[in-house]
Amino acid sequence: QETSFDKGKKYILGGIEVTGVKGYNEQTVITYTGLRTGQEITVPGEQISEVISKLWGLNLFSDINVYKTKIEGNKIFLELNVTELPTLSDVKITGIKKKKIDDIEKDADLKKGKKVTESYISNTRNYLVNKYKKEGYLNTKVNINTIPDTSEVNAVKMVVGIDKGEKVKIKDISFNGNEKLSEKKLRSAMKNTKEKMVLRFWKKSKFIPEDFDADLVSIVDAYKEKGYRDARITRDSILYNDDSTIDIQIDLEEGDKYYFGEIDFVGNAAYTDEQLSRVLGLKKGDVYNGVLFDKRIADQTKPDGQDITNLYQNNGYLFSQINPVEVSAKNDTIDFEVRIIEGKLAYFENVTVTGNDKTNDHVIYRELRTKPGQLYSKDNVVRTIRELGQLGYFDPESIAPEILDPNPQNGTVGINYAVAEKGSSQIELQGGYGGGGFIGTLGLSFNNFSIRNIFNKEAYKPVPMGDGQRLSLRLQASRFFQTYSFSFVEPWMGGKKPVQFSTSINRTLQFRYNPRTGDADKDQRFVITGATVGLAKRLNWPDNYFQLSHALSFQHYDLQNYQTSLFNFPNGYSNNLAYTIALSRNNTSVNPIFPMAGSEFSISLKLTAPYSLFNNIDYANLGDDPDYQTVGPNNEIIPDAEKIDQEKYKWLEFYKVKFSGNWYTNLFAKLVMKTGMEFGFLGAYNQDRGVIPFERFFLGGDGLGNYTLDGRENIQLRGYPNQSLSGNDGSTVYNKFSLEMRYPITLKPTASIYALSFLEGGASYDNLESYNPFDLKRSAGLGVRIFMPAFGLLGIDFGYGFDPIPGQIEPSGWQTHFIIGQQF
Amino acid sequence: CSEYQKVLKDSDVKKKYDMAEKLYNEGDYKRAIRLFEQIVPQYVGKPQGERLIYFYANSYYQTGDYYLAAYQFERFSKSYPRSDKAEEAAFLGAKSQYLTSPRYSLDQTETDKAISKVQVFINTHPESEYMDEANEMAADLRAKKEKKAFEIAKQYNRISDYHASIKSFELFFKEFPGSVYKEDALYYDYLAKYNLAVNSIYSKREERIGQAKEAYTKLISEFSDTEYKNKAERMNADLDTELQEFKELLEKYEIQ
Repeated sequence: QETSFDKGKKYILGGIEVTGVKGYNEQTVITYTGLRTGQEITVPGEQISEVISKLWGLNLFSDINVYKTKIEGNKIFLELNVTELPTLSDVKITGIKKKKIDDIEKDADLKKGKKVTESYISNTRNYLVNKYKKEGYLNTKVNINTIPDTSEVNAVKMVVGIDKGEKVKIKDISFNGNEKLSEKKLRSAMKNTKEKMVLRFWKKSKFIPEDFDADLVSIVDAYKEKGYRDARITRDSILYNDDSTIDIQIDLEEGDKYYFGEIDFVGNAAYTDEQLSRVLGLKKGDVYNGVLFDKRIADQTKPDGQDITNLYQNNGYLFSQINPVEVSAKNDTIDFEVRIIEGKLAYFENVTVTGNDKTNDHVIYRELRTKPGQLYSKDNVVRTIRELGQLGYFDPESIAPEILDPNPQNGTVGINYAVAEKGSSQIELQGGYGGGGFIGTLGLSFNNFSIRNIFNKEAYKPVPMGDGQRLSLRLQASRFFQTYSFSFVEPWMGGKKPVQFSTSINRTLQFRYNPRTGDADKDQRFVITGATVGLAKRLNWPDNYFQLSHALSFQHYDLQNYQTSLFNFPNGYSNNLAYTIALSRNNTSVNPIFPMAGSEFSISLKLTAPYSLFNNIDYANLGDDPDYQTVGPNNEIIPDAEKIDQEKYKWLEFYKVKFSGNWYTNLFAKLVMKTGMEFGFLGAYNQDRGVIPFERFFLGGDGLGNYTLDGRENIQLRGYPNQSLSGNDGSTVYNKFSLEMRYPITLKPTASIYALSFLEGGASYDNLESYNPFDLKRSAGLGVRIFMPAFGLLGIDFGYGFDPIPGQIEPSGWQTHFIIGQQF
Repeated sequence: CSEYQKVLKDSDVKKKYDMAEKLYNEGDYKRAIRLFEQIVPQYVGKPQGERLIYFYANSYYQTGDYYLAAYQFERFSKSYPRSDKAEEAAFLGAKSQYLTSPRYSLDQTETDKAISKVQVFINTHPESEYMDEANEMAADLRAKKEKKAFEIAKQYNRISDYHASIKSFELFFKEFPGSVYKEDALYYDYLAKYNLAVNSIYSKREERIGQAKEAYTKLISEFSDTEYKNKAERMNADLDTELQEFKELLEKYEIQ
């Protein structure tokens, strides 16, 4: 039965009166309510409660009441009574240094104009007390008073008195009742609560209650690892000393040592008891280790740990539950039952990506390792995140998977990958003086280009993007040289298979300086024109981290009145047509700028056709052929070096083998060890024709490719001057080993910075006969790398070379290397 | 220093108000916005605020800044639900949101917002003169969502992941039963099933050929003169041959 009271009655609103306002205009409050005189209104009814909740939502009032003042016929008059919250007009903080005050006002949100409520005051107090406790000021007292500010309407001043007291350090941590584990061992089990010690500078002695509680758990865990299942802390007390230090006293009971008894598995159908025992790795008679046992069931510290939970999670059992239960404890033996509810196998339904506001779907979805209809696998989710990060379009640190609508009844699950786009274009524009004149450089590189939109005006925001193609363009010119290069890469040629197509064109012109005119002499020139086409295919065998690539490259050298050390002739030409095949594997994760785990290696072979097998030229005795002879200064017949060289280098003939491998190991926290090795060899098919002067290795220094006209490879070996470890002509064999420790300072998408220290050694030789892989030039040093998307990689390394460079006796000593643009 | 600059730096709110309104009426929205920005906070809750916020929102709309226009129109609608301009503001707010929706191949968060905004407009203003345009926008937005799902499912077939393609089309038909892309979707679903069947392992071939033929029947029965007719028939003939060969092979083995 409804009463008339419940229903409310319809009235015409005759008027509203606002009472209790101090700082606000009555009219303003009425406008906020949205009510208008003359409108229809039901009292009591939804409209009134809407008004009240709307006003509460403003956070301006500490009390709101609506009264009915009078009723005339069908007209109703309302009174809106509010109590305004006072506003903060001024804050005064005492007890701390002046320059810290600003920070505190900001962090504690002590802003002028804030509404002062009780909770605001106590939040501020708690914030400050906790802040100083965390810094080790255990006895911090904060006192907050408010004083009405008469100069403004309804305002208060706030006086915050902070008394930090002395910094409290821990003088002594002592234990009672420990027999099986030493005090030293227990103290080291406490990760964050440490005694005061002069030499330990990386962790200060502080007492923070939350950390202390966590450390008490760690102590018990330390016992659990040794079989003392019943170990417990009976009492912990803190004693205050006079010299503002404290002593901590921990009383504990160790209990007895236990051993594992029977470990039974119940409810497992997908895996046999044997398979599960193997993953568990614990058997009857082993010393009880509760921590390890829990880890083997589900390792909370490693998402990809080798545990039973992951065994199920990686093979479709999303809904599996694994509960270890102690079923009996007889004497010193504990029997366990691992109760498993396997649940239905889960298959993916909707797989979605959000946050891509530049990159097109097709570029992303083809990279996913989790697809609709597939069996759920945690491994594949983790790998998808890693590979999306490596694409370079998204911030690798912020890719977040989100499980959607898990349905244990149907065995279905959805997943969404939330990504955040990051800048992937680099622009380089610079001008400067060098090499006797002005040098201008324009470099553009777009890592997420869309070539099909190149003629679409609307796509220029500021460049067509989103199809995952890479396009780069570089022009550099001065009076004496010009270089142009263009390259394009499509990672999925045709969109059907992950076959990467790449092509590049380049042209370099170099002119000699003419001392007479003081300008470039265009008649003395060296022109190099080249083009490359490559295909790279991801393989599924031996595993799907492998890539096989092919490339065909052509380089034409044209000299006119230009003597170089490369050739014995000033006029002539040379061609280099070569095929390269390479096999590489890369499973580094997650962030390509700072890999934390995994390895990368590649082996490649670059070769030309063996022309000398077919052309019937006897290179050893070319000098005896009248066509290759000339008349010497004393009118005798001598071999013509110019002609012989021209014949030898018409078409370059060589093969080159290279190997490189890098392993990344996460030691602890974010400290990463990079171990690397490299090897390279350049050979000739026909020893009479000889090893070409091109394509050689130059060891030493920063390894930056500043001068690569002759296809040379600069190999980094820090601690030695650039290219100092190879002769003028370069080396044909080299190897190198390195060990690097890296620690990130920040890995934000705007800038990634990490510090490193290294040990490395390498050697280069002119031929295989003198090759000795262990006669190394060694060095050590440290440095820093900064990666910013707009600039690429910048870095500086200080290296000390322990060995002398060839031709000297003193060690190479300290060298400074600037690293620019060279990737990783 | 122009008069505009002077007023911009002036502290007199009334002067700014007058100039902003003048600029707005002259169509100089960009300069008007700079003034509105300064004075809107002072007028919130006051009677003039109603006109002002509407002008402010509309200026963003006119200059093509649809994100901010959508936000300001929303603010207007919330603050002045009973305004004479309420309907127009609700429509322009929905339209602004509609215009922020990106192409189908990008994140569709804005599209989802637009769909719900346009739908709210259609529900709350059923008599509106803008109804036709609102319905068009709603259809357009829905088609965009359909195209996205369709293209993703189609791409799985393209990269030879037929299982994923078939599953995605199954979800597509469930989510968008009356899609404008239904004909294409039926064909590509058939194509994926066809590809799976002809590339199938021996033990599953018969079953998969059957599923592909079912998809063919579905396409032809729903769209009897589909543009894919020729291709579909050719594929169907292939399937028949495959099935025939498979059965012959089976018989041969059974005899042996």
